Amino acid sequence: MSSAIALHSVTRRFGDMVAVNDLSFQVQSGEIFGLLGPNGAGKTTTINMVTGLLRRHDGEVHVLGFDPQVEPRQVRQRIGLVPQETNLYADLSAVDNLWHHAALYCADLSVVKERIQELLQLMRLWERRKDRVGTYSGGMKRRLALARALLHDPDIILFDEPTLGVDVQGWHALWEHIKMQQTQGKTFIVSTNDMMEADALCDRLVIVDHGRAVALDSPEHLKSDLQRDIVTLRTTPAIQVPESVFTGLGIEAVTRIPPDQLRLEVSDAESIAGELVTRVVAAGRLESIRIARPTLDDVFLHHTGRALRE
Amino acid sequence: MPRFLLLLLNEFKLARTALPIHLVAILQPTLMYLLMSPSLVQATFDMHVIQPTTDKERALVAAMREVGSPIGLPYINPIVVSPEEAAQMESSTFRQIVAVESRDGVPTAVQRFSLIDSNQVKNLRNRLTAAALRLWNEELGDAAVTIEEHPWLPVDVPYTVYFGMAMLPMTTFLAAVFIGGILTAQDFEFRTIAEFRLAPIAPVWVLGARLTRLVLSAFLSAGVLLLAQGWRTGFWPGSFWRVGLVLLPVAITASSLGIIIGLLFRRSIPSLLTGLIAGMGSWILGGAFGLTAGFGGLYEKLSRLTPNAHAVEMLFSCYYGAQVGDPPSSILALALFSVGLLTLAFFTYRWRVLRQE
Repeated sequence: MSSAIALHSVTRRFGDMVAVNDLSFQVQSGEIFGLLGPNGAGKTTTINMVTGLLRRHDGEVHVLGFDPQVEPRQVRQRIGLVPQETNLYADLSAVDNLWHHAALYCADLSVVKERIQELLQLMRLWERRKDRVGTYSGGMKRRLALARALLHDPDIILFDEPTLGVDVQGWHALWEHIKMQQTQGKTFIVSTNDMMEADALCDRLVIVDHGRAVALDSPEHLKSDLQRDIVTLRTTPAIQVPESVFTGLGIEAVTRIPPDQLRLEVSDAESIAGELVTRVVAAGRLESIRIARPTLDDVFLHHTGRALRE
Repeated sequence: MPRFLLLLLNEFKLARTALPIHLVAILQPTLMYLLMSPSLVQATFDMHVIQPTTDKERALVAAMREVGSPIGLPYINPIVVSPEEAAQMESSTFRQIVAVESRDGVPTAVQRFSLIDSNQVKNLRNRLTAAALRLWNEELGDAAVTIEEHPWLPVDVPYTVYFGMAMLPMTTFLAAVFIGGILTAQDFEFRTIAEFRLAPIAPVWVLGARLTRLVLSAFLSAGVLLLAQGWRTGFWPGSFWRVGLVLLPVAITASSLGIIIGLLFRRSIPSLLTGLIAGMGSWILGGAFGLTAGFGGLYEKLSRLTPNAHAVEMLFSCYYGAQVGDPPSSILALALFSVGLLTLAFFTYRWRVLRQE
């Protein structure tokens, strides 16, 4: 696979605040690449630098070999953007919104009519094509925004927070559409602060915090790289000095989750499960215990010392 | 060309995002004209006179009928009323009543006014004086001094025609600046501006389509007013093409200004208010109620800074068949306004939309 997007030591500042700090990653053609991080981590800034909407202050960006800062038109012909806040004309129909986009983006206008029908059917919006977009649900608007971004058949789609404002039922439909487009050879950059979304959708992802890349790999590798299980337990009363209770069990890290939970990182939870329960019961009443493989939230916590939602 | 037509069609579809503004921008000046024109200065005044009973009184009524423009309408339409009707003047709609009464044996025309403004009093008094002067001249015979009037124009044109004519550039300006401002500002409010920012086509297409749409909307607004004016007054311009050619630079100037305002403010309400101030200011300064050349001094100099003043002078010949002002300098001024604002709109678009931040 060739590199569709390459960022090398990219930095962007807003006044004194460094929004993106020495960020580097490469996105391969045909992959769904995630930018995972909390709000304000610099994800949207990164996307805007890839599109050429924002200038970078340092580093290099290449999109299909073009520098968006130097050759913006070449880049814009090849990318589709679904911004964080869905920017559709609410008083126009879906078809009119797509025609508006076509006039601005499509090189060949003769195929637009068929393409609009194809995309609206694909996104299951054909029946509502003549309705005002203002009457659509959040999920329908996101699907229409995706259809719009795909209308001019770009090679790369930048999707900023795909499921923002979409109800849970709509998430899977949207992910399905993105995956379907991937099979057509499209490359996606998806920015999200939802670990479940990143896990379900991305082939690889970069975890971004305070504008810096803290980890980069596939979700599976990122999780397995931790080489530990996560044990979450709740007792009554809460265990006040966990170090004394769990001595000798090979606990790698202990985090208190208020009000009464403890989160333990352990290399092999199954082998110490019996002893762990015995010691907890001796220390107090065990209300619940959960042993799980790490999630991306655990990966984020491991690398940054705080949870993704904090 | 198909792309431009598609962009143009899309621009018209966007009217749905600001329908009330479009209705106000296109129809409000015409509505204002239709409401205001009945109360504007009329050539012929209805003047109520108590039923004449003597020869002197009959002669006065006849003289009132003779007072008028040498090339047009009479100035007085005497309406004879009975003394009983005159007695109920306070509860009637009469503006004034003339009665011939005897004062120490001398017949005296007594003019009684209802609650009207001093300007109307002056007008009604002057007309009665003119009628009395005719009687006086008849009595003086050869000793009378006769006034001869030589109008500049071959025909009397009612003031409502001038007022409507001066509103043509105003409605053109207002429609373009209003709609241009709100459509552009709304793209920032709806965040649809990102669509334009990332568009790979040349900005001249985008701006060209928006400007064309605004110019056509402005012409629609002017067309509605022109029809209303013709219907109301019976006066039509000598050449519709010429009216269109005069209004074209006004429309281009105002469309460009509307886009600039929208790009600078990025909010609908400030854009609308600024457009309104620009449109109304340009109208009032630019010969709204009378030719600016007649004012002189600072007012005239200021008015020359508006496209309206030049457009009104250029339109004058279409309605009156006579040229006022200096056509070459007006053409130059209108061309400069158009090209200047168009260029400014282009650079403002590049700065506010296309610039990489």
